[in-house]
Amino acid sequence: MAVAETPPAAPVTPAAQATPIAPVTQVAASTGPLVPSGPPRDGPIPPIRAARTPRTDCKPTKAFVPEPHLDLSTYEADADLMTLSLGPQHPSTHGVFRVVLYLDGEQIVKAVPYPGYLHRGVEKLCEKLMASNITPIIDKNDYVAPMTNEQAVNMAFESLMGVEVPVRARYLRTVLAETQRVASHLLWLGTFGMDLGGALGGGTSLFMWCFRERELILDLFENLTGCRFHYNTHTVGGNRHDVPAGWPEMLHRTLGAIDERLDQYLGMLEHPIFSARTKGVGVIDADLALELGLTGPLLRASGVDHDLRRDAPYHAYAEVDLKVFVEDAGDCWARSKVRIEEMRESIRISRILVDNLPPGPICSTKPLKMVGQHKLPPGQVYVGIETPRGELGTWLIGGGANKGSSPYRLKIRSPSLHACAVIPYVLPGCSLSDAIAILGSLDPVMGEVDR
Amino acid sequence: MSAVEARVAQLEEIFLRFELKAESDADNKTGGPLVPRARHYELAQALKEAGWTSYVAVVASHWLEEKKGETVVDVEHFEVATALRSVGAGTLVAKWRVRLELNEDIDSLFPLFAGADWQEREQYDLVGVSFKGHPDLRRLMMPDEWVGHPLRKDYAIETGCAPWR
Repeated sequence: MAVAETPPAAPVTPAAQATPIAPVTQVAASTGPLVPSGPPRDGPIPPIRAARTPRTDCKPTKAFVPEPHLDLSTYEADADLMTLSLGPQHPSTHGVFRVVLYLDGEQIVKAVPYPGYLHRGVEKLCEKLMASNITPIIDKNDYVAPMTNEQAVNMAFESLMGVEVPVRARYLRTVLAETQRVASHLLWLGTFGMDLGGALGGGTSLFMWCFRERELILDLFENLTGCRFHYNTHTVGGNRHDVPAGWPEMLHRTLGAIDERLDQYLGMLEHPIFSARTKGVGVIDADLALELGLTGPLLRASGVDHDLRRDAPYHAYAEVDLKVFVEDAGDCWARSKVRIEEMRESIRISRILVDNLPPGPICSTKPLKMVGQHKLPPGQVYVGIETPRGELGTWLIGGGANKGSSPYRLKIRSPSLHACAVIPYVLPGCSLSDAIAILGSLDPVMGEVDR
Repeated sequence: MSAVEARVAQLEEIFLRFELKAESDADNKTGGPLVPRARHYELAQALKEAGWTSYVAVVASHWLEEKKGETVVDVEHFEVATALRSVGAGTLVAKWRVRLELNEDIDSLFPLFAGADWQEREQYDLVGVSFKGHPDLRRLMMPDEWVGHPLRKDYAIETGCAPWR
């Protein structure tokens, strides 16, 4: 309809047709102002593009009911339906991820995600390995928060083997998990600023600020484990690295510095451009969030008061009074607010627990010396913990034909998979620029989606 | 009675209604009770109405024929385990398993839980269990032209693959 109604392109003026394009001559370096080469032109300059009458019906013409499995043959488009493949290398997908968007003008009609570009067969590989070998591999799943990944899989092994974790290790694990949460949310905030373009201090400024502070936390982890990124510090029955001298003071210094800067980030939420780009964009209501299995900040931003750290305490979370932040709006702004408030709470908990580290051993099992030292009994357990992205679960099946120390079947329930599964429900009805903001606010990590 | 105890009692009551052995969550290392295939959807519906509103996971596993000497103890089959979670204070995971023979399929939970969409596609892709009533049962991780299901026990890790195009 719109194509038929646009007036025909303005005819190219005969004068412009007759004038041959003059060859580009080198401008004399000597004197005088710069003048365009070629003969002087008479009359007005012809427009580069034909004038178009602006569309007056550019509004969301349809009251949109998101339909993830929409049959496009039944959809009546206002303009021609355009197919746009976003990704797999698009920076706003935060990894290797492809979403095929069907656009009616600027409005997204249907979104079909294609994950799987980072599939590495981790679950198959784990069926051949022992717990001590699995830990460094699981590190690479959620490469933004490796600490919590290690904890999830080791807690599943501990649960199936009936291994107790000493109190000191439980406290240390809590400190590490919460510090990791700050680092992970900082990375999200930086990349979210990149996604929004100039909305947060212009392009890369926020990204650089967040990485500056994340580096401090990586220094902290390097001091403890010797690695900046893939730590391999957890083992069945506890931790492998005890706190070195001066580490608690270093943690206080680092987290105190970050805590001061959090106020600046909270102030950014009130920035008019940031509000305009995120408020009311990508609303996920509570019912859909629950049905889809969304967890973590995404669920809490939709108004569901649920946090495994408080509702099913593990580690040492029962010892602290955890405050859980809930926002009702369910839009990108609410998700940002929840994450930034969570950082402050994580900093508070870490600082309390590191001061109260109880003395004692940090591991209840002997260091692994031989293959088959830890036997996996037959049985099935599911252990879910609250990572920065939500509930990371490990379903572990022991015994079976393996009858050794490697699992019969290991399934990782990743929160990012469910975060990506919400895309077909949220994107339809939005404009293309909103899609980038929504993808950024979901904070998926593709290594965890595809495994 | 704490919130967790209330949830445990509620779960036991629902399981009893389905004539299942109620098991406490603390020392439950069986992956939940075995449910007949025909009642799988019904149980999920009852749990959703009782407050288990958050979808957690579906796990399919492949079990080869088991022999003791010459006698066959168990034939080759699949096992599909499902987990749902109640949210808020006293959150509790409800788990149950369904045994499937090789040629059987299982009801999809997609009409109840939208989150089952991708999880079931993943299990179909990697293990090869078929979900009846799923609107869009395609491979999720592997390429569409892939042959076989990698997480089956008779699928060797060293299986060759055609170069990606």
